[in-house]
Amino acid sequence: MEEIIFGIGITALAGALATIAGAAEDTESDIGSQGDPNSQVQLAPQMGYIHRIFNKAIAGEPPAYGLWVALGAGLAWAFMAMQINPILAIVLGSALAVFVQGVYATTAYLGRTASLAKFEQPVYIDILKSMTTVTMAHAFVAIFAAVAMCHLIISALGHPFPLPLLGLVWGIALGAAGSATGNPFYGKERQYQEQKFGAGVPISASGNIVRYAEAGERNSLDNGFFSAKLGGPASGICFGLIVFFELWRTVVFEPIAAGWGAVIVGVVVILIFAIIDRYIEVWARKTFGPYVAPEEASS
Amino acid sequence: MAVKIEVGAGGVPHNQILIYGLVGSIILIYLTYLNEVTNTEYFAFFGGLACVAALVWGADTIKHLCSYGLGTGVPSAGMIALGSGVIAALFGATTGVFAPIVAIIVAAIIGAVCGLLANHVVRMDIPVMVVSLTELAVVGAISVLGLIAMVGGTFNFMDLITGTTVVLGFTVQSYGTSVIGGSIVALIFMLAAIAIQHAFNACLGPNEMQDRTLMLAAECGFLSMIPIAVISFAFIAFVPALISLLVSLIGWFYTYMRYIELSKRDAYAWLDAQPILEPKGGA
Amino acid sequence: MGLIVSIILIIVALALAFFLVQMAGLLALVGIIIGGVLVGFGVHFVPVGGAPAAMGQAPGIATGVAMLAAGAGLAGLFGGAWAAPLGFPLALAGGAIGGGLLMAITCTMVNVVYIFGMGIPAASGKVDKDPITGDTFPEYKSQGTEGHGLPFISWVGGVVGGALGGLGGTLIYLELLEVYQAQMPALFGASVEQIAPIAVSLAGVFAIGMFLMNAVLAAYNITGTIEGPHDPKFKRFPRAIIAAAAASAVAGIFAIGLLELLGVF
Repeated sequence: MEEIIFGIGITALAGALATIAGAAEDTESDIGSQGDPNSQVQLAPQMGYIHRIFNKAIAGEPPAYGLWVALGAGLAWAFMAMQINPILAIVLGSALAVFVQGVYATTAYLGRTASLAKFEQPVYIDILKSMTTVTMAHAFVAIFAAVAMCHLIISALGHPFPLPLLGLVWGIALGAAGSATGNPFYGKERQYQEQKFGAGVPISASGNIVRYAEAGERNSLDNGFFSAKLGGPASGICFGLIVFFELWRTVVFEPIAAGWGAVIVGVVVILIFAIIDRYIEVWARKTFGPYVAPEEASS
Repeated sequence: MAVKIEVGAGGVPHNQILIYGLVGSIILIYLTYLNEVTNTEYFAFFGGLACVAALVWGADTIKHLCSYGLGTGVPSAGMIALGSGVIAALFGATTGVFAPIVAIIVAAIIGAVCGLLANHVVRMDIPVMVVSLTELAVVGAISVLGLIAMVGGTFNFMDLITGTTVVLGFTVQSYGTSVIGGSIVALIFMLAAIAIQHAFNACLGPNEMQDRTLMLAAECGFLSMIPIAVISFAFIAFVPALISLLVSLIGWFYTYMRYIELSKRDAYAWLDAQPILEPKGGA
Repeated sequence: MGLIVSIILIIVALALAFFLVQMAGLLALVGIIIGGVLVGFGVHFVPVGGAPAAMGQAPGIATGVAMLAAGAGLAGLFGGAWAAPLGFPLALAGGAIGGGLLMAITCTMVNVVYIFGMGIPAASGKVDKDPITGDTFPEYKSQGTEGHGLPFISWVGGVVGGALGGLGGTLIYLELLEVYQAQMPALFGASVEQIAPIAVSLAGVFAIGMFLMNAVLAAYNITGTIEGPHDPKFKRFPRAIIAAAAASAVAGIFAIGLLELLGVF
């Protein structure tokens, strides 16, 4: 019994760490316009819209976070093998992983922007100076939380994978959850906030991203503050729920029915999410109603 | 609307880069074998340099492959390359002194099969598919084997699976603290998978220049060496690991500065804290 | 032509497996091929819209298909590897549930953001009617887009795809683990517990590598985006199954025969 209570405590802690990691991950990627919204930042100058938004094209979010978290975990593993205390090892490992992330971010911005010279998009190096550090700070939170979570899963719950392998697995899952949940909110709601609310962006508007802010010109820090309102926390909840339910069903229900308890509970949780999803889908159809074309002739 | 992938023309022919990359990386990876000959660990950093040489070649290959438009992003090519490469590299590692050669042959087989399947079964019908995936798998195998040799000081499988750990002041043998048993290979896999595709992914566009892309590939290689050098402190002696770290830091700093210079050369304008310059034609 | 070459490759690989590791190797390779096929097939279910989905221009999840499938499959691998000591069927079920759970939560959160963050109801662009719920889509679709959000059929597709990916990844992992755990103790003169870290690491890395190979081949097959099982592109899946089977057979034979050359040179 005591073991199960201990396990539940670790599960809750791991879920909380995962929530922090997810929220920081999405905010970080939106500040850098990483992942799929990146295509619009890349496209805008080709359509004649020169902008001052960070264009941090480092693969997609899942492989990139697979690397950052695996890197933090691998370095932490090596520091622990050198007899350094685990907390310090995880901090040092994450810090070094963030250094690699920052360098990748700068090279991606310089490369993409320099290759757009034909469309008269200049390189604004103050973007690198002011925003790289902010993405690095968010990435540090995400990496540290994810690596700490992986360390807990191994040392307290006894998962057989070594730390770097587990870091790779959960890093890719973190990027997948964060990019799936957070990308549309940044891509549609922020980059195209001048388009009609409650409808998709027409393909004809592609590239016409918002480039000016309430005062002055929009930069990516404004996008970070916007993402932190909904996209980031939603990604955090998404990844936190994934980690929590995955651990919880195993820790609590594995002793039941020779292990099949965990599988049955997993199926039940999936069915509950199916009902939630169907409920909000029907709710949206009823509440928002069919699409109504805007009054103006065209966008 | 997807971004059209455009590449710059001109530069060094691909076949020349292929030959330099292949021969260079094989020679460099065999230089780590001096560790076994001289019974030291000072030559571990040559493994990382082999990885750099292979990545430069791989970046050029990815550029050729992805200029055809695959339907999915550039990163997927890096993933399939390393997915085949890591199996080949570890298979090769079991053959002792022949490791690099065997790894290259096995990688070429797996890569060619993937290319044939992509072209004739999945019907991509991209002319360079088979050759490119073969090259990429070989690059992946060499990168993994090179970084493994750098972190462990050797590419011999039996030495890679045994490590030492200190328990109560006594040094004991343990499989769990080895390069393979600690899954450092998983980290190397991901490091190389991102490094191989980043150079082209970051530089694609109408004004892509080959020298800048390849400089970035070398920068990614040296950057990947830095954390590997730090991790190698856990496996090899202090001084050889320090040499690895210094080599990677110097190499990284040089290539990073060169890359910034080249970006400055190619950029439309290089501005600090300036407002948006609307294009002359008007938005 | 491709089909014949694929079948020859698979037969050659199976023969080699039998020759190298006898019946156990043959069965392991069959397991790996089935695992690879499940991964390749599963990718076709995962609703991925790519870049346009991030602007509400196309339905699906806004990320890369191979990467999303990898996220789900590897989360399944996490669960499956954890349950491995409890026996084969339970580990496979754990892997499938792990992958399905990740997709169930992710797909639900995608709809939460679309509906509560952006006020956009789901609409498919490829079909007029949801095959499961019977909802109609054309009147909900925004002008100038191919649809947006995740209709229920795509949600179900995502969960099925995640579960198949998790099942396939776990199957590859378990087969390799079994081969290594059978060979390594005798080879290194150590107990099964002592070599466990090496066997787990090798099987884990190879499972991830083969998973990504199969997922990318399947992603090439659907050219990057798909809405789910109702999408016309879904009908292309037989090609991906053949490709995944042959690729897994060739990569799998090297993974199974990993230790055969050890000490020969």
